[in-house]
Amino acid sequence: MRRLAGLLGIVWAVAFLLEGATRESTRTPEIVPAILSPAEQNLAIVVNLSNPLANLTRQELHSIFLGERNYWPNGRKITLVLREAGEAERKTVLRDICRMNEEEYKNHILHGLYTGEILVSPKILATPAGVRKFVFNVPGAIGYLRASDVDATVKVVRVDELLPEDQGYKLHVEPISAK
Amino acid sequence: MMLGILISASVLRAQKASDVTVVDKQTLQALLQRIDQLEARVKQLENEKQASASVAPAAPSLEASPLTGIEKKQEKVVAESASTAVPQADSLVAVEKNGQQDEVSMGEKTDFNRTLLKIRGFGDMSVQGIADNSQTTSFSLGKLNLFVTSDISEKFKFLTEIVFEAGPVISEANSNVFGVDLERMLLQYTYNEYFHLLMGRNRTSIGYYNTAYHDSAWFQTAIAPPFLYTYENRGGILPLPIVGVSATGLIPSGSLGLHYIAEVGNGSASLLPTSAPVQNVVDENNHKAVNLAVFARPEAVPGVQVGFSWYNDLLTPYQQAKVSENIFATYAVIERPKFEWLNEGLLIRHAPAGSSHVYYTPGFYTTISKKFGRYQPYMGFQYVNASDLEPVFPAVGWQQGPYTGLRYNANESVAVKLQYSHNTFRHQAAENSLALQVAFTF
Repeated sequence: MRRLAGLLGIVWAVAFLLEGATRESTRTPEIVPAILSPAEQNLAIVVNLSNPLANLTRQELHSIFLGERNYWPNGRKITLVLREAGEAERKTVLRDICRMNEEEYKNHILHGLYTGEILVSPKILATPAGVRKFVFNVPGAIGYLRASDVDATVKVVRVDELLPEDQGYKLHVEPISAK
Repeated sequence: MMLGILISASVLRAQKASDVTVVDKQTLQALLQRIDQLEARVKQLENEKQASASVAPAAPSLEASPLTGIEKKQEKVVAESASTAVPQADSLVAVEKNGQQDEVSMGEKTDFNRTLLKIRGFGDMSVQGIADNSQTTSFSLGKLNLFVTSDISEKFKFLTEIVFEAGPVISEANSNVFGVDLERMLLQYTYNEYFHLLMGRNRTSIGYYNTAYHDSAWFQTAIAPPFLYTYENRGGILPLPIVGVSATGLIPSGSLGLHYIAEVGNGSASLLPTSAPVQNVVDENNHKAVNLAVFARPEAVPGVQVGFSWYNDLLTPYQQAKVSENIFATYAVIERPKFEWLNEGLLIRHAPAGSSHVYYTPGFYTTISKKFGRYQPYMGFQYVNASDLEPVFPAVGWQQGPYTGLRYNANESVAVKLQYSHNTFRHQAAENSLALQVAFTF
């Protein structure tokens, strides 16, 4: 009788576990804020896959993002991709690359377009997915993404010989706060 | 044991049964019908996709499920070495922005999404008073400047600046009448960074100020340009606009950042005092004005630009000997987001034909400013010294003086400027003026 009760208990337990597992597998996956490592929070500079460039110095990035340099070494025109004003990634670019605030940057770009020195106005895109798509489709494009938003459709260039996951990488984005 | 298994099995079945919703036959039929419709739609979409894939290269799915950190690193390595996944460079492609079609056209095809006009505007209004009562204290509408661009194709770009402006003030009769000036109208062809060709009406690349600020009070720190760059229809001495062609580009010079500019055009009118100064349609002589300029932007010193230009033209004043005009200009400027220091000097040489006398008119200005938050105090000094016998601009004479002011950037589109100027002249009393200006962009 004790054995029977024991077996009954085991069967109950297995049935309970099976039922739980079934419920788990059919449950809609819950969206939880990803906890990103510091490396994933870094800012990756991305270009089109066809761009042979592997490394850019911060000085070169400065020239590119200010519109002072309009061409890649292969002769293709540079198309700059920016996120909207106020986004954390854009703040990093303005602070660490352009060394300007939002107002100064907007005025600088406007002035460059006005004098004709900036040939193409930067493309403003609302989402990381938008940046990826644009950079993927435009051979001369350069943009930036949080390292965690990078995928195989874009190429990450080294900045001062470092990738975002490397120690000593300088471009840090304000962390995403867990909601 | 068997009893236990049976009991537990029945319990499990009962639990599952409680989750099942009883569906009637009619609903089932409707659902099956809906599935058939959806399958037909999927098939249709697949066919369309295959058809478009034969025109444009297929892109990897951008809506792929998120990758883990390790997978991403692996993908990055793949991306760095990838050469097989390179998209066709010159294909006509469309980019989605927030699910909507945006634009990107490569190659020399004209994408009409790109050729849409982009318009920015600049304007200013001011109130000015001069202490010696030579002019009344007045509210003045400044320039309303519509800056219009259009990217015609990858290589061609159109740019124009349409300015609505009252005046000129030197002629009292029409100083309150608004007119329209096509300050710039340019078709720009870009071959590469070493060669851009511009055709139309442009600002002459004499010195720095003329091309850096054009007709916008918004970009100028001070209220008005220095004497030297006063507009011709307001008594200025330089041929600021030019109608013709110009070539510009980078000179391979590494970190020195050398650029060249070569311009050929109609130059300024000189035949009659009443002639429009800019020869938009007809030149009064066959001699073309030529301007050559070179400037450097050394990488080592951000914001610094130094340059030199030489302008040559032949002026033909009515019932006077022809005058050979040469203008030599040089400048050194520092322009940084929070600091600005402009220094320019030039020498105008007028040599009337058949005369041994040559007239030299030197001039310079310096202005310095620094931003403190939204406030930007500035100060400067300007000087020009023309002979009273100068054959082309006898009324300019000698004038010089300091000016100082404060620019307050109310926001990223509106600035308020307050400026005091003191000018001394050769044949008239010194002048003290105070002006307040609101400059804006929209």
